[in-house]
Amino acid sequence: MKNLVFVPDLLVVAAALVFVVGVQLGWLRRRRYLPAAAAGVALVAFLFELWVGATVGTYFGGAMVQDRFALFAKAAVLLTAALALATTDWQAEDSLSIGLAMPLLAAFGVMVAASAADMVGLWAGLELAAASATVLVSLRRPDLGLRLLVAGGVASGLLLIGIAFVYGTTGNADLTAVRSVLASVLPTLPLAIPVLLLLAGLAIRANLAPFHVATFTAELGASPLGSGLLLGVVALASALVAIKLAAALVGVSAVYAPFLEVVAGIAMVGGGAAAIAAHAPRARLAYLAVSQVGWLAAGLATHYRAGIGSSLFLLGAFAVAATCGPAVLGRAEGGEMAIHGLGVLRPARAAGLALAMLSLAGAPPLAGFFGEFAVAAAIAQSGHFELLAVGLVGWVLGLVAAVSTLRVLYIQSPLEDARRGGMVLPMVTTLSTAGAAALCAVIVAYGVFANPIMGLADQGAEALGLR
Amino acid sequence: MIFLATPSPIGVPGAGIFSQPFLLSLMVWAPAIVALGIAVMPNPRGRYDTLMKQIAFFTNLGVGFLLFIAYNQFQNYLPTPQFEEKQPWLPAIGVVYHLGVDGPGMLMLVLSTIVGIASVLGSLGVRERVRSYFALLLLTQSAVNGAVVARDMFVLILFWAAATIPVAVLIMGWGGPRRTAATWRLLGYWGFGTVALIVGTMALYSFTGAKTFDMDTLLKTSINPRMQLVVGLLMLVAAATRLPLFPLHGWIRDVTAEAPVGVAVIVMGASSRLGAFLLLRTLIAAEPAAAKLLSPLLAVLAALTVGYAALAALRALDVRHVGGYLAMIPGGITMLGFAAVSPLGVAGSVLSMFAGGLSAALIVGVCAILSERAQTRSLLVLGGLAPRMPNMTWLLIVAALALLGVPLLASFTAELMTFFGAFKTQPIGAFAVAAGLVVAAAALAKLLYRVLFGAANPDAPGVSDASLGETWFLGLLAGALLWVGLFPSGPKIPGTDVPLFDPGLLNQMSAGLSEMASSYTLPTPTLPSQ
Repeated sequence: MKNLVFVPDLLVVAAALVFVVGVQLGWLRRRRYLPAAAAGVALVAFLFELWVGATVGTYFGGAMVQDRFALFAKAAVLLTAALALATTDWQAEDSLSIGLAMPLLAAFGVMVAASAADMVGLWAGLELAAASATVLVSLRRPDLGLRLLVAGGVASGLLLIGIAFVYGTTGNADLTAVRSVLASVLPTLPLAIPVLLLLAGLAIRANLAPFHVATFTAELGASPLGSGLLLGVVALASALVAIKLAAALVGVSAVYAPFLEVVAGIAMVGGGAAAIAAHAPRARLAYLAVSQVGWLAAGLATHYRAGIGSSLFLLGAFAVAATCGPAVLGRAEGGEMAIHGLGVLRPARAAGLALAMLSLAGAPPLAGFFGEFAVAAAIAQSGHFELLAVGLVGWVLGLVAAVSTLRVLYIQSPLEDARRGGMVLPMVTTLSTAGAAALCAVIVAYGVFANPIMGLADQGAEALGLR
Repeated sequence: MIFLATPSPIGVPGAGIFSQPFLLSLMVWAPAIVALGIAVMPNPRGRYDTLMKQIAFFTNLGVGFLLFIAYNQFQNYLPTPQFEEKQPWLPAIGVVYHLGVDGPGMLMLVLSTIVGIASVLGSLGVRERVRSYFALLLLTQSAVNGAVVARDMFVLILFWAAATIPVAVLIMGWGGPRRTAATWRLLGYWGFGTVALIVGTMALYSFTGAKTFDMDTLLKTSINPRMQLVVGLLMLVAAATRLPLFPLHGWIRDVTAEAPVGVAVIVMGASSRLGAFLLLRTLIAAEPAAAKLLSPLLAVLAALTVGYAALAALRALDVRHVGGYLAMIPGGITMLGFAAVSPLGVAGSVLSMFAGGLSAALIVGVCAILSERAQTRSLLVLGGLAPRMPNMTWLLIVAALALLGVPLLASFTAELMTFFGAFKTQPIGAFAVAAGLVVAAAALAKLLYRVLFGAANPDAPGVSDASLGETWFLGLLAGALLWVGLFPSGPKIPGTDVPLFDPGLLNQMSAGLSEMASSYTLPTPTLPSQ
């Protein structure tokens, strides 16, 4: 059983390669079944991960570790990938083969980061996930791809400098060793600078306000799936890396906790306020995602097991909603008018979009609400009531923005064809309808079955050695 | 389990069959599941609109039937919550799916069910997007029921907040010309209240160190009076935004004026009463030291609310605005009972939640139907309608009398208990509220005179009396007020003490109430030893 742990990783990598090479070489002729096949592969990998992922162990001489944290993170990204591949409007994508392969490769990057036992593995996983998203962005808008590459380069540079400094201070790249060395070290300025550089690099990748400005234009201009990968999967990878690093650097939490509190507060309120001001559905989704990333950071700022476990629990809900939101929106990505009456014209997609948006806004009784409440409880336990109050203000703003979208989706009448102009509705296929329905079910079920999911997230935080 | 562990006073036929732990979940989730079913049902070109309305109505009737069973099997001599359900939900942070109902909870469930049926009947005239409308209405009812039976603060917050979104969408989608402003105001005020509730709950969670949101632990762990005061103030803000109380009442005028009739009825009848219910659970029953410290503030808020509402109603020229302002008055009276911090005052407040909910729903519903049937909302145009609208005339008179608390109506008993309780401990507040009621009487007299008995306006548009459906839903609210007013302890078989079919709302309400108010019982004077 122990050797089967990496079967899901192998499955997604193999499938990604087959889709890229097979389509190019003309091996895969029945192209209309390929999205279903890709979603099926991700789903099988997800089920396989749940089956064999509970086996705890270390691999490759201790470079990779399979624990409850890895199980949670891998299951979350595989389910997200399966749903994203199923809900995507493939008419709106620029290349079928690359569009199918990149989410799988990004998922693989997240899986590497989730299992990594040292800082190099974390960096490699994050870069793989980010590179996959950059490829998808570049397909549609090479200019935005270049911009993303530069921003990503800066983020990666900051991250590497930070890693190098931490390595220089502790003499080790292994996370457990870093943790044990820093446990007996007092926070000093020379240590604070690399830690803050690390966090700044991760904040750019994770869309944490105000660092989100570096990549935001790319998120709005990419294809639906590319935007979903940037908003969801890359942010998921960054948050996982941040969680692992926060657990390793917990001895010097006094260095990073105030920084995280400030940026979390800005993200929670700023994201909510910007979501109200934004009218285009994708921009609104993106700002709501920024706001929820703020909640993730607030959980990390508590630097206790309860807070980090809650952040991990919220991360699962976030990944699904932020990745699948733009995917389910498909080609209806223009202004607000593009989704007028979508509830009548595309009921399954409209329901998926509405629930994804409500979940990102933390509306009860959906997945995001449960996660945000768990983080709020952890913040209260740590005594940061000012951060809690700021977060709740952002939460109300996000709800107002989500209700505005519900009005457009369900209350506005659909536009006549003459007024619709160039705005195209997302395509309807059996797979996309089933995917949208599955997305709705997952967002609702995440709260209903919160007990086992939160339990696993809590065990994940415990596996990082947190108390 | 509680049912099996305690002796039954009388061999009730069928006793025990509904004591299994699913009854409350069924009452909470059945409307939500039916709402989802309605939402995904195909309805090409509105072909099944009537069916949707019937499904919503019979769902409410089904919930009513379940409530009837629960009401009759409810053991009012037990101080503990009944029909309890307890499952771990988020064990890492101490969240339990814990439901249960005590006396005040049972009273709120009765209110919610009556108002739910009335709101569906009041919505039969909806023609646009019928499927979505009734799905959202059922979701609202589900959320209200959930908040009432919640025994865990997380579950309470979940349903409390969940009630906001369907109501907001209903107003935005089916409301009057100023519906957008009304929706934003509602979201703003209710959102602010929810933030206060969450911060208060988290403060309690943090201060007690209980690591659970279960009310049995969280609200019973003692904390110092200063912390109690902080939590109490936050809960008061949350309650004041819902009930609403002056000065956090900013949503009421626009919402009651712009919302469709059925929505206005459920908002004023049930959703808003959750504010008082929250205060009962989290302040009066849980934080006696804070309640005593805050009682003068509660009395001031009660007086300001009643006074402001009465004066605003006196000055308003829009009949729906008048209805909205008058619907604030019962909330003020409920608050006065809490301010009394005495067993009698608290009991009066609890009964006033029920009577006030019905009165507020009735006045808002009557004013809305009146303006629709008279084709104008302006009091300058309306006049001399009594001969042409006999049904509406009677209903408006009953609503006015209910607001003033005249004998034979449920609000009379509630106001009597509230004032008797309050005059002892908060005489100035009670006097101020009474003075506010005098102004309210003047406002009601003006309304009745102008609309019903004044000179008819020859330039006014044509009027028609309420339809059968409208008369039924308003009659249901008026009938419930009369029933409890006439039989507060339930009708008995003549010559005996055996209840006919209703054990009496006052009796059911008392379960657990004496424990809640036990901190406020004055010490019994002892005779000097001889």
